[in-house]
Amino acid sequence: MELADRAVGLLLSFVSLSIFTYYTFWVIILPFVDSDHFIHQHFLPQEYAILIPVFAGVVLLCLLCVFIGFVMLKSQKKKA
Amino acid sequence: MKHIVKIMTLLVAISALWGGLLQISMVPRSHALLLPIYFVVCLGCYGLLMVGVGLMQFPTCPQEAVLLQQDIIEAKKYLKPRGVDVGSD
Repeated sequence: MELADRAVGLLLSFVSLSIFTYYTFWVIILPFVDSDHFIHQHFLPQEYAILIPVFAGVVLLCLLCVFIGFVMLKSQKKKA
Repeated sequence: MKHIVKIMTLLVAISALWGGLLQISMVPRSHALLLPIYFVVCLGCYGLLMVGVGLMQFPTCPQEAVLLQQDIIEAKKYLKPRGVDVGSD
């Protein structure tokens, strides 16, 4: 049990650190690099740096609303 | 109701501050929309990191677990003859 918890914790922190470094690189360091450096091939075009977080945020908000609506409907059905 | 008013005022204050900084041009114009999103992503990453670190450092107490199981068995033995529903074994 303890090992599974620690594995999940390690995975979570690894994912968060990799997302942080990739995004920092994308937004802050890449504009200062010459456009014909090879590193640009590893990163999507800069418009996606805005689109992907906004899209993820909108999807999260929609899922939250759906979940709240679902719970409200269920509680109403139980009362009736 | 008061809690959401507090959150709204905080959001308005932060966006006003950001707009003010943009006007004084302390912040580069080209990155006006990008930096707040970057900060929000940073905050989310930080929260996830704290959850992961907390998970990794969570202390389990094996001795307490054994004692708890013994307590449960004792309580079930005590309550069952008295007619309390103690669930399945």
